[in-house]
Amino acid sequence: MQRTITRIHDFKLPTAILGACLLDDHRELIAACMDGVYRVEIESKKYDRIGQHESYASSAVFVPGQQVAITAGYDGKLKWFSVKDNALQREQKVHSFWSWDMAVSKDHRWLASVTGQYLAGDYKYAPAQELEPCVKILDAADGRLIHALSHVPSVQSVVFSHNSQYVAAGNLMGQVRVWDVQSGAQVGGFESKDFTSWGIIKSHCYLGGIFAMEFTPDDAHLIVCGMGDMRDPMAGNGKQLWQRWDWKEGKLISQTNEKQSGEGLMEAIALHPSMESFLMGGRLRGGEWNAALFDLASGERIGTIKSGYRITQMLFNHQGQLIVVGGQGQPGKSNDGKFPDFGRVEIYEINS
Amino acid sequence: MASGIASVASFNALFSVPAIAQETIKRGKKCILLWLCGAPSQFETWDPKPGTITGGPFGAIPTSIPGVQISQLMPKCATIMHKLSVIRSMSTEPSEHFQGIDVLTRGDQPRPPFTRPILGSVVAEQLGQLDSPVPQFILLDPCPEGNEFKSFKAGNWAGWLGAQYGPVRSGGEYAIPDIVRPESLSQLDHEDREALRKFLSRKFENDQRSQAAAGYNAAFDRVKGLMSCAPLFDLDKLPQEDRRRYGPGAFAQYALQARHLIENGSTFVMVANGMPWDNHVFQHEMHQMLVPELDNILFQLISDLEERGMLQDTLVIAMGEFGRTPWLNEARGRDHYSKAWSMAMAGAGIRPGVVVGQTDPMGFEVTDNPIDNRRLFATIFRALGIDPKEQYDLPDLPTFHRVEGNVQPIEELLVG
Repeated sequence: MQRTITRIHDFKLPTAILGACLLDDHRELIAACMDGVYRVEIESKKYDRIGQHESYASSAVFVPGQQVAITAGYDGKLKWFSVKDNALQREQKVHSFWSWDMAVSKDHRWLASVTGQYLAGDYKYAPAQELEPCVKILDAADGRLIHALSHVPSVQSVVFSHNSQYVAAGNLMGQVRVWDVQSGAQVGGFESKDFTSWGIIKSHCYLGGIFAMEFTPDDAHLIVCGMGDMRDPMAGNGKQLWQRWDWKEGKLISQTNEKQSGEGLMEAIALHPSMESFLMGGRLRGGEWNAALFDLASGERIGTIKSGYRITQMLFNHQGQLIVVGGQGQPGKSNDGKFPDFGRVEIYEINS
Repeated sequence: MASGIASVASFNALFSVPAIAQETIKRGKKCILLWLCGAPSQFETWDPKPGTITGGPFGAIPTSIPGVQISQLMPKCATIMHKLSVIRSMSTEPSEHFQGIDVLTRGDQPRPPFTRPILGSVVAEQLGQLDSPVPQFILLDPCPEGNEFKSFKAGNWAGWLGAQYGPVRSGGEYAIPDIVRPESLSQLDHEDREALRKFLSRKFENDQRSQAAAGYNAAFDRVKGLMSCAPLFDLDKLPQEDRRRYGPGAFAQYALQARHLIENGSTFVMVANGMPWDNHVFQHEMHQMLVPELDNILFQLISDLEERGMLQDTLVIAMGEFGRTPWLNEARGRDHYSKAWSMAMAGAGIRPGVVVGQTDPMGFEVTDNPIDNRRLFATIFRALGIDPKEQYDLPDLPTFHRVEGNVQPIEELLVG
């Protein structure tokens, strides 16, 4: 059954939002932005910048037991902020390169942060081996390193399973590895070549990969997203693509119905609270939508959003409303020498 | 041919008569152009703006020139910044690739029907040795596609100078075919056949005053030259340690080959790799790989040339056709920007350790000493000892100058 998705509220932040999390009451969110970490009151649209990384902030998670918001950044650091007074409690250098993405386990015990710089590894620019372990598992309470796990750079997305037993990380080359969180043993994985472009036109190098992942409610499968292959990697016109994989068997189960997708990089996935559908969002390069709701069982598209900006993360609040964050293209400087705000927050209602 | 199995580490080993080799490697100004096609970002290379909204996610690091910082993606160049010179105030007109490539490789806008020769053709004509078996203008580009660059490559390179000053192309799918003598043909037989062909065709050329025969003979001479230096075009014959030092990517490998060709008698080598710098999408995701590769190539190239005593005679240029926007687009990319961008040079005739011009704190505008393509080319020509003001009077065409507009070179960049 098709769903109607209606925007009911929206506002802007100064710079693009690369990641976000909701706080306890779901009335506030922490936004990881290009110019720092913001605490935002959704209804009133008020915001304060509570901290900064030395580069872009890339992810934010909330740990209710400790009442802390933890952010990661392209400075390779993790930062713990108290949500009581916004004070910085701890910061920790985790990677020598960026934290591309960070996740917290569903039981809020573990953090996972992923890194890796894409460097030329051979004549055709396959990625060189990692210079440091690309996946770090940490204790969410004190930042203690639990596991340093190996992957092929750059590792751009990470997610925990619903039972908090597994952690999965996906990279530039479409390779996904799944580990048991307790033991650090790799227990599954797969490689999809459909998300990575090697430039036949313009450049002999690799672009793309997997930008977001989510386990299915039973943890048996992983849904991953990104952008389909491009002949000209600078065009950004690959297919809006998700794939569902049996990560234990390394078997592709289903993927975007070609007739239901346009062009553009997809970099956000969220399971609907009903656990019967999921959303995928990102950038619209060509087509009709840049976020869409898909039936989890059939994979059919059942609703769309055309936001007009790049979507980087999607969250659901207690009321089942969808919170979409991201950013427009950075505008040119205005006459007063300042940049217009280009971070975006929107709230949608999904109706049957 | 003994050269076929010899190490190309030594030029003398390429030729059976060392005297010919010495004659071929005449001392003179030479040039390597690292053509960063697609246009690299000045923010992630020579003109970082750390801590600003336009600066991007990468930081800046100090260099061997006090007070001068470059992108953190260039740690090796930071250590030899006193040997490089950088222009941070390039400001040019074309903001589309084809036109930008035209202007930044030829030095000026087109003036149909006149086709201005590309830099390599001018240098080959002015400084090259036509009797050398080694091609004087070589384009190394392993990426046969490249959109606008492909169209450009199909065009007229040497302009009015004539096709003999056009480049010999090599690299990747441009491998030069049939330049190795078959084993079934002895060297003696090969030379005898060539002598007979040459005698007959020269006689025909002279008797008939045939331009076609003259062109035919010129082509044979060129092929003969290529055959004699075929190992120079074989990446596998480059020293393994050098190949490791330069890095595994195709651009790095051909940059090393450029050094080798210059060492062995070529005058101008242009190295490109399609147009990978055109990062309208995934700007930072691509520059995180491309810039460190360039950083290492420049470091190795400058160090090698200096170590061999060749840097004072060899000009190394690293540039693209323009820069990239201070702002990011929605696709994580930076778009074309020609108003304020950067390029680097080192070696022959260029004063080391100079940073020319500057841009405003967010990199939107040039605020000091804007440099356009004409002044850049006047400077390059002067550094190479070529008169930028030379005048050409071509039949039925207006008078042209090597560099138009009576512009002055950038004196602070020139030695002496």
